[in-house]
Amino acid sequence: MVIKASDLVEDESLAFFQLVYTNYKKAEHTIGGYQDRHFLIGGRPVRLRFAGNGLASALTPALAHLETAPAERPELTILAWDSASSNSALPSVLKRYFDSLGEWWDHLGRRGEIRELTNDRFRFAYHLGPNIFSGLDLQENLGLYWVQDASALPYYEIGSPLRTILHWWADGGDYQFVHAGAVGLESGGVLLVGRGGSGKSTTALAALDAGLLYASDDYCLIRTDPEPYVFSVYNTAKLRGEADVKRFAHLAAMVSNKSRLENDKALLFLNDHFPKQITRGFCLKAILLPVVTQGKETRLVATGAGAALTALAPSTLFQLPSAGSAAIKTMSRLAQRVPAYQLELGTDLANAASVIKDLLLGK
Amino acid sequence: MKILGYFSIKRPDVVYETIDGETVIVNLENGVYYSLRNSGVDVWNLVEAGANLDELTDLIAGRYEASPEYIRKVIAELLTAFQQEGLVQVASTRQTISQAPPSPAAGAKLKFDPPIFEKYSDLQELLLLDPIHEVDEEGWPHKAEEDGAESGDQS
Repeated sequence: MVIKASDLVEDESLAFFQLVYTNYKKAEHTIGGYQDRHFLIGGRPVRLRFAGNGLASALTPALAHLETAPAERPELTILAWDSASSNSALPSVLKRYFDSLGEWWDHLGRRGEIRELTNDRFRFAYHLGPNIFSGLDLQENLGLYWVQDASALPYYEIGSPLRTILHWWADGGDYQFVHAGAVGLESGGVLLVGRGGSGKSTTALAALDAGLLYASDDYCLIRTDPEPYVFSVYNTAKLRGEADVKRFAHLAAMVSNKSRLENDKALLFLNDHFPKQITRGFCLKAILLPVVTQGKETRLVATGAGAALTALAPSTLFQLPSAGSAAIKTMSRLAQRVPAYQLELGTDLANAASVIKDLLLGK
Repeated sequence: MKILGYFSIKRPDVVYETIDGETVIVNLENGVYYSLRNSGVDVWNLVEAGANLDELTDLIAGRYEASPEYIRKVIAELLTAFQQEGLVQVASTRQTISQAPPSPAAGAKLKFDPPIFEKYSDLQELLLLDPIHEVDEEGWPHKAEEDGAESGDQS
């Protein structure tokens, strides 16, 4: 019998996946069952299976607008559990391995990839800090998501949950998870791109206020062909500090994490409050690069596809484990398919929303 | 700094894409990204094809209006910067698949615009970085002007 080195690597990854999977089954057994919820991600049926209540209530509000009737054949199943609410500890070998990743984090890739176990079939990541484990078997379309205690999840994970597994699964071909906001009309919308603090969230909220459709404030899924399209993944909005709370005072009552604002940004699940304005997606008409200015009026200045790619690609790549050459190529194709504008944001935010609306209506 | 030998791009940590006359280069290992424009795009494409300094000089001098000595000096500086930034590696033999770099463009020569190579370090906090490996921001290429002072934020 000849065993190739590549088989051995896969076997080790498979054995590791099975070890974590066995812990999920143990949690399910301890709890005495599971709870299934079904969603359409990028238009495709995904099943989330929860053992224990901890994660179901933490991870599903951001996806609520995509919830759907049970699909006969989900294209992806994610098993999610936390040790605290399922009352099931990790086996000691796994616990020691996770602990060692925290101490010797050079073993992790810069974006949390567990490098030694990642291959063509399996993806693994460990998010240090909140200590979130994500795994995906691309052959079986089976994901694993574990945390020690769901009640300790950070706000950004509750705001854009499961994004590591969803990006591994959804990306490829014409599809790519991106770090971008998205707002628009039924006939089409815009992508808001740029680093944190560039004005994406504020612009998205201003658009919501003006009655536009809302698809994203930081992560969404794009498709380049047959025509550029944006899929909403999360109906989350965030208020950044006191300035946003002042600007959007009417939203303050809707904040979901009021008791944790000392350390967290304020999170809102807009589907609970503006269901008619939350969209599952729209055709993409333009890419906007928000820039905060001191002027009152907002204006659009045409810019190049290179500037759009520079605003979109690095922040996307740095936040998605294992994303690489294929991802930047997909984003580049997108940037070449639609025009790009710098959105010079004035202080009058209602004006910013009407500038976007006029662009989409061709005025 | 060794600028003799054959260059190749450090894959898979370095990803890049040329669009609209600009090459966006992203180093996934240290969270730094770059915008490369003008004749720098040609240099990058030739590095991708596996050229050495002599070939780069001949090919760029065949395409642009400037003295080969000046072009060689500018290219050597850019190659040194690529190396300092950890974007390329150099070997004594050709590393890439393409055996022969593309020929110079036929017809009239273009005006030579020196490369513009801008560096952005504003997103490094998004990565899990070991402080002792942080890159030196001094010297060439210059750090591009950064807008928006906020950092440490994911949205």
